[in-house]
Amino acid sequence: MKLKTDPTDAELLRAMLSGDEGSFVELYRRRNGGVYRFALQMCGSPQLAEDVTQDVFLFLMKDGQVFDPARGSLSSFLLGVARNYVLRKFRGEHSTVPLGDDEDEQPFDQILDEPGPLDDLTRAETIENVRRAVLSLPERYREVVVLCELQELSYGETAEVLGCAIGTVRSRLHRARALLLTKLRPTEEAEVANAGSVESARCFA
Amino acid sequence: MNCQKFETVAGELARGRMMMAELREEALAHSNDCARCSSRLRDEEMLSRGLRSLGSQTSSLEAPPSIEADLLNAFRQAKVVVPIVPVRETRRYWVAAIAALLLVVFGLLAARTQFQGKPAPFEAVKNSAVPKNQTATVDNPQAIIADNSGSAPVAVKREVVHQPKVTPRRNRNISPDQLQARASSNRNKKDVESNHASNEVATEFMPLGYMNAAALQDGGQIVRVELPRTTLASFGLPVNMDRYNEKVKADVLLGLDGMAHAIRFVQEKRLQ
Repeated sequence: MKLKTDPTDAELLRAMLSGDEGSFVELYRRRNGGVYRFALQMCGSPQLAEDVTQDVFLFLMKDGQVFDPARGSLSSFLLGVARNYVLRKFRGEHSTVPLGDDEDEQPFDQILDEPGPLDDLTRAETIENVRRAVLSLPERYREVVVLCELQELSYGETAEVLGCAIGTVRSRLHRARALLLTKLRPTEEAEVANAGSVESARCFA
Repeated sequence: MNCQKFETVAGELARGRMMMAELREEALAHSNDCARCSSRLRDEEMLSRGLRSLGSQTSSLEAPPSIEADLLNAFRQAKVVVPIVPVRETRRYWVAAIAALLLVVFGLLAARTQFQGKPAPFEAVKNSAVPKNQTATVDNPQAIIADNSGSAPVAVKREVVHQPKVTPRRNRNISPDQLQARASSNRNKKDVESNHASNEVATEFMPLGYMNAAALQDGGQIVRVELPRTTLASFGLPVNMDRYNEKVKADVLLGLDGMAHAIRFVQEKRLQ
């Protein structure tokens, strides 16, 4: 008995480029979530994330033949395209979610002091603080946090998306986490970091 | 483990990433002993939990259905069928092949023009059907190139054009009857006769690049040229390095379009 297996992304793409509508729908439903979430976590705006998602799949329709399976998965390829569109929008529109005043944010120390930290961390307010802290990171640190921490990609997959070495991903993530800690725990170091100097994070790390 | 080294692994430890068991134990032992590093590890763990919560909160998000509908409309309107096979690859080979062919043709034409000005050495080739600087037309040049199985090409020289008006010295004392008899004998050998002299040995015709059969359907010409001996190496033939600065004879098969289509190298037989 012959087992019927699901077509791979590359097979769906091939069929889609040949004009098969069903393959396009299947591929879109399989991959739109990752692209949309990445764009949303990078720019914080659902409207921009929708635009990016649409642009990515329009690009796939038009120039999908540039995808080379030997260089990585289609998922990484799509995230790489999404990243380019996000960065383009940043440069064109400077659209990020404005951060609220520090007074509105709950200091990380308080979270630690409260009983049941895991329960507290899952609270919407705390998650919102983390989200804001992520969005306030410089782009190159934000993208590694989004990919490695929020999308839970491996270092190798992240390196594929960003087109850099695995070591670069590791070091950027290390620095990004240090920056996040300083943002979530207002101390003297955090004040320096909030002034916008990336180098200050190196001292922390 | 010291605090500095702990800093480098704290993030990995908090994220629960795979790491060497020994390193992990060392780091945990250090955090138990060092209050600062213990606090750092707690911060890292809290950060990991916060990020994980944020990730799981958004893990089910997808683009709204309107996006899918818009894209589907765009797909139906475009219906652009993109060729799957990348054309660039084949195009690259064609360009390389054409470039190589042009290089050889220009080389041969340059050699031809170089030798055209010189008078034909009178005694260079005895009984040669295609002596040096002569041009012969052939009926079926394709057969010459196609038939590489025999030791000699099977095409027959039909007519010699541009033949120098020089009577070979050895024929001067031959009577007209003898000449006629010899010509008759030669005609009987048609279609099997080699078009190079019996005192010469020649390689088989080697095609120059991709053949354009259409260019050879109406016949062609064989031109005798001389080339630097090092040219042999270009065709994968051995070169005698003691004679590398000498020239070597070759017959070039030209189509009616003037393009060189095949070449063979000719050498006089050594006397036993």
